[in-house]
Amino acid sequence: MRNQLFFMQPFTPDARIFQVLFQSIFLIYGTVYLEWAQRSWLYAVYIATAIITQLICEAWLRKHIAKPWEARWWKLTLPGLPSALITAMGLCLFLQTNHTTIAIAAAMLGITAKYFIRIRGKHIFNPSALGIVAAVWLTGEAWVNPGQWGNGFVQFSGALILGIIVVTRVQKLDISLAFLFTYIAASFIRQVLYLQWPSDFFYQSVSTGTLLVFSFFMISDPKTTPDHPIARIIWGIMVGLLGFWLHSFEYINGAPVLALVLLQPFVPLFDMICRSSRFQWNRLPVQHVHAHIHH
Amino acid sequence: MKKILMAGILVSCSTSLFAFCGFYVSKASGTLSNKTSQVILARDGRKTVVTMYNDFKGNIRDFAMVIPVPVLLQKKDIRVVEPGIFQRLNDYSSPRLVEYYDVNPCMPRVYEKDDLMSVQESVVMKSPKAAPTARGYGVTIEAQYLVGEYDILILGAKESSGLQRWLSDNGYKIPESAEEVLEPYIKSNLKFFVAKVNPKQATALNNGFLRPIQISFASEKFILPIRLGMANADGDQDLVIYGLTRRGRIECTNYRNIDIPSDRNIPLFVKKNFGAFYSNLFQHQWNNEGRNLAFLEYAWDITPINPMKCDPCVGNPPTQQELLTAGAWWLKQADWSDYSDPDMDLPDGNNQTFFTRMHVRYNRNDFPQDLAFQVTPNRNHYQARYIVTHPANGDLSCDEGRTYLRELKARRKKELRQLLSLTGTNMHNWQKDLLSSDAARHEPEIAYAHVADELKNETETEGQGAGMMAWVSALMIGSAGFLRWKGMI
Repeated sequence: MRNQLFFMQPFTPDARIFQVLFQSIFLIYGTVYLEWAQRSWLYAVYIATAIITQLICEAWLRKHIAKPWEARWWKLTLPGLPSALITAMGLCLFLQTNHTTIAIAAAMLGITAKYFIRIRGKHIFNPSALGIVAAVWLTGEAWVNPGQWGNGFVQFSGALILGIIVVTRVQKLDISLAFLFTYIAASFIRQVLYLQWPSDFFYQSVSTGTLLVFSFFMISDPKTTPDHPIARIIWGIMVGLLGFWLHSFEYINGAPVLALVLLQPFVPLFDMICRSSRFQWNRLPVQHVHAHIHH
Repeated sequence: MKKILMAGILVSCSTSLFAFCGFYVSKASGTLSNKTSQVILARDGRKTVVTMYNDFKGNIRDFAMVIPVPVLLQKKDIRVVEPGIFQRLNDYSSPRLVEYYDVNPCMPRVYEKDDLMSVQESVVMKSPKAAPTARGYGVTIEAQYLVGEYDILILGAKESSGLQRWLSDNGYKIPESAEEVLEPYIKSNLKFFVAKVNPKQATALNNGFLRPIQISFASEKFILPIRLGMANADGDQDLVIYGLTRRGRIECTNYRNIDIPSDRNIPLFVKKNFGAFYSNLFQHQWNNEGRNLAFLEYAWDITPINPMKCDPCVGNPPTQQELLTAGAWWLKQADWSDYSDPDMDLPDGNNQTFFTRMHVRYNRNDFPQDLAFQVTPNRNHYQARYIVTHPANGDLSCDEGRTYLRELKARRKKELRQLLSLTGTNMHNWQKDLLSSDAARHEPEIAYAHVADELKNETETEGQGAGMMAWVSALMIGSAGFLRWKGMI
């Protein structure tokens, strides 16, 4: 079942590299074409902090196995770095702040939570989503703007296609689509069928780049979603409904990210009820690395 | 060359700023235009104070307007303010032209000049009186007030067709496309704020000038209903939004926000026609960026105790009293009209005030949704600022002078290029303008006209350069492919 979807396996060993690549494309598109230039200094902060924090955490975790000055340590640590980059990219794409300290804190929190907030060897919170939520709703000095992407069709289709490729490669398209369909259907029912807005009103609210980038690059993270296929679909629908409710009735910007973080504590519950095999990023050569992290 | 700031010059970017975000309904037949609106949005916590500029032209008895509002407004939530506040905010935050003077390198001199300051204050409140009534159609008149010169009705409706019939039966002329817009508002539980001029009160007004209406309410929604305003407008409408908050900038959450290009050096001759330059620039940027977006034109911390409210100042910064007039209720230690609602954010002595000016050009196709906003903690200053530089005068025959003239020529070329890229016009047009206008017979224009000739030639050769580049890269890729095919690389 799992191997059927891994048809591209021979070409690349790790789908996370692709994910970082696509996120970078979106970031460059946003910075250059959509003129987010004023916050580009944050990118360096996020990336550097995420990587350094990850290295420190790895060093601490493996202190009995290998030391950072040994080649073996690096052999164990380097394969995990794309995860840190994905986290940093997620922050770059969503989180705006004028304070370097908040940027650093958000990235640090996301990464450390990945190592230290764990249940049965699986981390609970999506690192970038946690960083965003903490920075926006706890400090009040950072913000998320869902309007930053505009509504260009090109990015709509671009995000869709690129996103599908990434997610397919790690066989997690189910959760993205469950979320996206729920959110879009709920928006359609409320906006078009109930409130009777014209259809372009509805299109404007669902074609935003923020929603698509969230669906394909944030909620799709296989490490922080339930393992069982049915549980995954249900959980995706829950995030979609909560996100829709927070957005439409509580007028919260960046509602899907908040919904994701609020619902992630329920993932272990789903895993307890429906047992299934654990996802591994890169099963063949790196499996023992994760075994170390998990225990 | 050393430059010294001389003075800030205000040139109003839009000569006629009027109307607002609701829509005019005409009692008599006739076309009422509302092409440019100005709105002040003061927001903190859940409370919003909206002030709508009223520049209605025509018989004031024909004036009527409808604005969707999220809650049932009480009489104390509605007041009338003096129109001067809009002029003040507009003057203060308009895109600005600043002038620099080159110093003669052979004979250095310094110029300096300052702006004058003046203070103007105004707050007016009026008391209500009985207003006319009507019933039926699934429409309920939930409240009626007389505020200033306006008779105000707050309507609640069950269905849009009833509301529409009620309005037309009561002599209001409603645009045909309004019903599609009214229905979603009714379903969202919005109330309709209907204002028209009370004839008795209106006669007491000096020169028949209607004053802006200010409403305040508490709601999570921070939106500006522009859709209704599109009902009777043809083409593009401009909206200038002055945001006042305690935290920082406001920004649009359902459309893209970008900063209008700023801090650009432009040719000296633009000074004479800065208003036209800016409207060209705005139109070009708007088209270029895909139309469905909001431009930031100004952002500044105008907390009353902040000593530097602009740099350079083109209009006097609003005083504390003016900000209060504009709706920034938190600046007053006691609340401005006795709110007993516990949800209301009462002033707590923190009188931070941040000012944002946004400019939106909207139309039905590019803006399917009302504008939604959020207050961000972003307190970075921003201003739309354009720079012209006067050349040095006098004898420039010394060595430095000759170097200066060479540099001046290069700089003028750069300025012309900047002008072209900002306004999207082409060199041929500008050159024609430069040489044809009678006013252009001054030294700077002629100087620029000469440079323009060279620039035109350069841009043509640049075009050829790009073509060459394309050919060379095609050739390289082709040969690489060939070599690969032959197995040589």
